[in-house]
Amino acid sequence: MDSRDELAARLDACQKCNMCTAQCPVAKVNPRFIGPKGLGPDMERFRRGQINLDETMLDDCSNCKTCELTCPSGVKITEMILGARRAASKARHKNTMGLRLGLRGYILGRNEYLGKLGVIWPTLTNQVLKIKLVRLALDKTLSISKNGPLPAYGKPLKIQPDKVGIGTNTNKQVVYFPGCYTRFNEGDTGRILIRLLEHLGYKTTVPDFHCCGLPLEANGQFGKADKNGRYNLELMRPYLEAGIPVITSCTSCGLTLKEDYPKLETSSAQLIGAQAYDLFEFLWQLHEKGELPLDFQEVRASYGYHPPCHLKAQGIGTPALRILGLIPGVKIRNLDAGCCGLSGSYGFKAEKYKKAMKIGSSLFEAINVGSQHGDFQSMTTECGVCKVQIVHGTGIPTEHPVHILAKAYRLID
Amino acid sequence: MWDAVVVGGGLAGWIAGIRAAQRGKKVLLVTEGVGTLFYFSGIFDYGDIEGLRHLPKHPYTLFNSEAIAQGQHFVQEICPEYIINETPQSAFTVLGTVRQGDLMPRNMILPDRQEQGRFVLLVPEGLKDFFPEVVIANMAREFPGWQVSAKRMRVDALAEWVKLGKSVSSIDYSAIWRSEEGQRVLAHEIEEIKRQYQVGNKPQEKIVVVLPSLVKEYVDFSRTKPCIEEFSLPVLEMSSFVPSPHGRYFAEYLKHRFTDLGGELMIGARAVSLNQESPSENKARTCQEVIVNSKGKSLCLKGKKFILATGGLLGGGIKVGMARKSIHEGVFDLPLFVPKEWSEPQFFASQPFAQIGVETDELMRPLDPARGEVVWDNVHVVGRMLAHWDPWTQRCGGGVSVTSGYVAAELV
Repeated sequence: MDSRDELAARLDACQKCNMCTAQCPVAKVNPRFIGPKGLGPDMERFRRGQINLDETMLDDCSNCKTCELTCPSGVKITEMILGARRAASKARHKNTMGLRLGLRGYILGRNEYLGKLGVIWPTLTNQVLKIKLVRLALDKTLSISKNGPLPAYGKPLKIQPDKVGIGTNTNKQVVYFPGCYTRFNEGDTGRILIRLLEHLGYKTTVPDFHCCGLPLEANGQFGKADKNGRYNLELMRPYLEAGIPVITSCTSCGLTLKEDYPKLETSSAQLIGAQAYDLFEFLWQLHEKGELPLDFQEVRASYGYHPPCHLKAQGIGTPALRILGLIPGVKIRNLDAGCCGLSGSYGFKAEKYKKAMKIGSSLFEAINVGSQHGDFQSMTTECGVCKVQIVHGTGIPTEHPVHILAKAYRLID
Repeated sequence: MWDAVVVGGGLAGWIAGIRAAQRGKKVLLVTEGVGTLFYFSGIFDYGDIEGLRHLPKHPYTLFNSEAIAQGQHFVQEICPEYIINETPQSAFTVLGTVRQGDLMPRNMILPDRQEQGRFVLLVPEGLKDFFPEVVIANMAREFPGWQVSAKRMRVDALAEWVKLGKSVSSIDYSAIWRSEEGQRVLAHEIEEIKRQYQVGNKPQEKIVVVLPSLVKEYVDFSRTKPCIEEFSLPVLEMSSFVPSPHGRYFAEYLKHRFTDLGGELMIGARAVSLNQESPSENKARTCQEVIVNSKGKSLCLKGKKFILATGGLLGGGIKVGMARKSIHEGVFDLPLFVPKEWSEPQFFASQPFAQIGVETDELMRPLDPARGEVVWDNVHVVGRMLAHWDPWTQRCGGGVSVTSGYVAAELV
């Protein structure tokens, strides 16, 4: 631990410069939110004196981690806020949220079960969720915004049992962690990713993972989140021990695997951080080793690119842009115009919907201006819910960048 | 393999990255946070260039005057609102005092003191750390021939803030002035000022509106709708205070210039060490890759050139430990010049610790101060990390950072 880490851990590293609050997408639109500096390091001193805040205020943080990326002193602000939420959820005294918001947190955190229910008969679920009366009822009973862009369900991604077995040619084997969105809402993206990895000569295993745990954490269900993490790590353990990489296509699942899982107390927690890869991070590593085939066909299309907050927080740059830049014909413009506002399930909440749309307004403006200039016709981004919010806010078609790469490899039309 | 890996996202790092990308190089900029641009006043100070060049070892001795001028023109090329002038120009600080500066936005430059006229200070309701009475008194003292008056104003978009009695940061206000609604409100206020002061008995009086937190520069029309309109009276910006709206918009603007030119930004990653080619005897070593802590794992970033722009004590490039006089450079562990005494009792005097930094050869390659030899062949040190200067008393922070960043990019 160098001197800077010690300082960061001791919260005294915060110089009160307020840059985090100046950059916070929530503080910009919500005057009742005291901002990351206030909620993180400032209140931390009170919390150390056992004075605890109203949990609803902690809940205003959307967990986008922009503050941590902003801080010039490396203070782990979101981590402090999450720690406080964790403590508040355990305490369950007079400061906890009411039954309704508690129940909403329970439901929004359970996107995995919602997904499993939703995909039993996706068209029916989607039709039911389109009924205004149903949405109004959800709004009134559970404070789930009637306007929020709840993602539609589709043909789910099936789990892929391990056909090869560990030990035989492990260097051409990967585990894929699809995440709930890909699994239940956008199975196609998962199927394309598996075909693409197959095309590159990799056998892909998709164990029957639970949700990564981030939505649970974001909705105050820390115990369940940890339980999911340990369950998933146990499924990964034999692969991690054999040195097999775990690939994610969702940047929030990826961040959770890299940032939260190493803190869980199991033996495989030590391994996951170094072996979890964003898909394009993994492909770039192949390219650097000269193992990525470059026999692309020309793809004549232009895209705007939105880097998700949780990709930035991984500290790996924008590997998708590097890979797509290798394809002849593809034109990509990195908009990098701020948070989309949805932040997992944040923008689905009735009292937060409008704020989430306001947070996303500069991104929507950049997309609208760019497409009107003719810079691009569609958008691409790794994060599923960013995609949902972009389509909701601008109406511009948006897809995961793996679709573009698959086109270049002639795997899809 | 990158043509250049720039470590650090402050002024010097961005200038180096943008210039190298503009020259068609493959550039990666790695930064842990947003850098110290959030302390930026909006003005580039160059100081007494000729005088400083006579100081032994001052960074200006590394550059010829042509390079310094090229750096200035590069700033102007990126932001055409910046005016290059032979003599220093003046602007209002947020305290209403006058400060000189060498490169400042057109909208900040003060009118001639010898003229006569009226300043109308617009006071946005609840603006944080803004004290109109002090500002008015200072403005009146600085401009004896001018009338100074104030006009309070409010914006509907912030009604909720005001109702809560919550102050509004200048960054939040600057966002309002850049929006359609803010432009409308300002146009309305300015019309009222005009009616109040011009329709009266002195129609010839020159009126200048002064508005803290206004940032008209750094607008990117490929990402925002054009809505900046010209007002019927001149509106002066004031230099920024921390956290700086000028810095916030400038940093974002530089980021977009950089990535639009094909540069890649890796934020949230801290460079921690390096790998080198095994050195042969008596030769400067070549750095092959820097090791960066991303979430979960370390990344090795291979490059031909490395530009170290991590800042000094304030920016976090130089780290001071708890043990007395324990100090080191955080990425390459470069040898530092450290004066015998770090401080001197007079607070506003030139403090010796300001001179702490890396000594370099004329190509800004790090030197071992003991032996005077180049330590790394392909590493260039820029900005605040350079030794033997003091941005506070010499007022040349912008000049050294811009010039060193620009020159390093030419070496890529």
